[in-house]
Amino acid sequence: MNLFAVSISHHTAPIELREALFFGDEEIKQFVEKTKGNLFNEGLVISTCNRTEIYGIPVHKELQYSEILNSIQSIKSVSDIQAGHFKNLFSREAVTHLFEVITGIDSLLIGDNQIYHQVKDSFQLSENLHFTGFLMKRLFDFAVKTGKRAITETEISEGAVTVSYAAVQLIEKIFSSLGKKSALVIGTGESGEIAAKHLMERGIGKLAVTNRTIERAEKVAQKLNAKILSFTNFKEYLHEYDIIISATSAENLILSKDDIKTAMKKRNYANMVLMDIAIPRDIDPASKEIDYVFYNDIDSLNIIVEQNLEKRKGEIPKVKRIVNEEVDNFFEWYNSLEVAPTIKNLRDYFETIRAEEVDKNKNRFSSEDQEKLEIITKRIINKILHHPTLELRKLNQSDNNIDETAIKMSLLRDLFGIDDNKTASSTHDIDEEGKDN
Amino acid sequence: MKSIIDFLNILLPLFYIVTFVIYSYDFTKGGKKFIHSKRLFLFLTLIAHAVYLILRTIYFDHPPITNVFEIFTVLAFSISFAYFILELVTDIRGTGPFIIIISILFQVISSLFIQDVMEVKAVLRNHLLGFHVFSALIGYAGISISAVYGVLYLILYKEIKLNKFGLIFNRLPDLETLETLSFYSAVIGFVLLSVAIIIGIIWLPKAFPNFSYADPKLIGTSLVWILYGAGILSKIFGKWRGRKVILLSIIGFVLAILSTTITNFLSQSFHSFY
Repeated sequence: MNLFAVSISHHTAPIELREALFFGDEEIKQFVEKTKGNLFNEGLVISTCNRTEIYGIPVHKELQYSEILNSIQSIKSVSDIQAGHFKNLFSREAVTHLFEVITGIDSLLIGDNQIYHQVKDSFQLSENLHFTGFLMKRLFDFAVKTGKRAITETEISEGAVTVSYAAVQLIEKIFSSLGKKSALVIGTGESGEIAAKHLMERGIGKLAVTNRTIERAEKVAQKLNAKILSFTNFKEYLHEYDIIISATSAENLILSKDDIKTAMKKRNYANMVLMDIAIPRDIDPASKEIDYVFYNDIDSLNIIVEQNLEKRKGEIPKVKRIVNEEVDNFFEWYNSLEVAPTIKNLRDYFETIRAEEVDKNKNRFSSEDQEKLEIITKRIINKILHHPTLELRKLNQSDNNIDETAIKMSLLRDLFGIDDNKTASSTHDIDEEGKDN
Repeated sequence: MKSIIDFLNILLPLFYIVTFVIYSYDFTKGGKKFIHSKRLFLFLTLIAHAVYLILRTIYFDHPPITNVFEIFTVLAFSISFAYFILELVTDIRGTGPFIIIISILFQVISSLFIQDVMEVKAVLRNHLLGFHVFSALIGYAGISISAVYGVLYLILYKEIKLNKFGLIFNRLPDLETLETLSFYSAVIGFVLLSVAIIIGIIWLPKAFPNFSYADPKLIGTSLVWILYGAGILSKIFGKWRGRKVILLSIIGFVLAILSTTITNFLSQSFHSFY
């Protein structure tokens, strides 16, 4: 299969280069306009904060990787970039790489299933730009199936692997339903905002934010539909909140043990979770000594993160097995599109119909005529298939583009419905799964 | 029929042990291998146990409540059956090993020492006594389960406070759920103990000429009942919560076990039949 791929990721390049080569939607559009019909017949561009990858079925099989890199640089002129920053992949390697990417085992954060959605979005964009064709669509179907299998059949995406998710995981080990709980986020910088967002996603019942700069608090509160507390007197309302997440850049402690003690008395010692994700810390660690107060800082949350990352690493061999199985399935399907098996399948298909019809009707003929019926019907089938067979054999000659031939074979198979059941059913499964997402 | 009863008597501890091993494997290893099938093992064990109890009742012509070892097998069944229902209703599957091990304990003792008693006192064939004993046993099953969830709550509470995120943290349900399970099991236990006590107070003085309100088992059960009643009320009215209620439940359970053991083995009273 003539599938070319180039990839720049955390394996090959520093973050500055990865950031510089990030393609926005508009830039992907420019790239597609530039390369479609010149370099590639069809293709896919995946670009995230950690990787930019281009997959394509070339117009000419003599395509050089340098031509792809030149096209990238014509859109994104980045100095210091070298060919060594890219991984060049071809055919089976390229397919395997795409499947590993979608399962998250190639990600910086192993098992990060955000990449699964990013690949799907990238494919959607390629499709909107009419950059995907028959082969890329099938490749995408197999990729999605692989990603889905990795998520459902392994624990590659289980457990929190970021501090803010670990905080949520810990909160969920204390409270049974966040829908009935209230949370206060102190400090609405990047970490505070992410933590507040996670709580909203988990369905927190009531959310409030407070920040030294009121404008910033208003912005986040508006985004997350949260209540704003004044930074000067928020301590008076601490007892109303089951969860307090603090993420300010303050140099000194914001909440003392006494503040927490007072709040706990007011709430009759109902469970309270304190998540101090600030550096330096905002909440007095001695607060953990108070009954029913669950205090955690970055260090303790990192223990959860490290444990989960280790577990995910242990799942990589299982995911690789799934990737290999699906790469095999994909190539089994692709190889079925070769000329020789297609001719054989086509002839078998016609022969089956002929034999069935002869069998059904032979009793209408005398035993002498039955023999003639066999000969005549076989001759008719041979004559019908003579010209198509010759044309198909011409396609098999070496100067033809194998991917174009595969597309023609596929059309022929679809036209007569001679895809084997295995391929048909597996394709159906993928379509159904695709709809779920 | 007798040979089937004897065979099941040997088989039941093994059934409980196999079920316990499967639940424990699922708890420690996780994954999806036994997540559904373990429930089937528990179900089959309970079916076998139910058949055993029915056959005993038919063959010996009295419910299996006439001696402490018969009571232990009913208790083993009640505890696992109550857990099975709880697992079905709540879909919380991570606490099975901690409950089933109690059934193993009761069933092993019962299987080792149970005797074939054909002749029992006439009073032990009375239906009201049947209700009295069965409601008391299911009540004890309720408070046993409550105590187990209570202990699990305390362990998880400590693990989280100390930032220990091991197996217990990963596999057990959240603290609030453990507290709720412990509380509701205690409520069910309390209600059924109340039924047992009411039947006892009304019927026992008529049935036993030597009935005494100073009976140790009566006093012990009443103490347990008062303890649970106080705990439940304080929780309902929001006075106590969390560890305090849980500790009360565990103390109640220990007291209940002590009261049963002492009255059955050490003291002589109208409440001992063997």
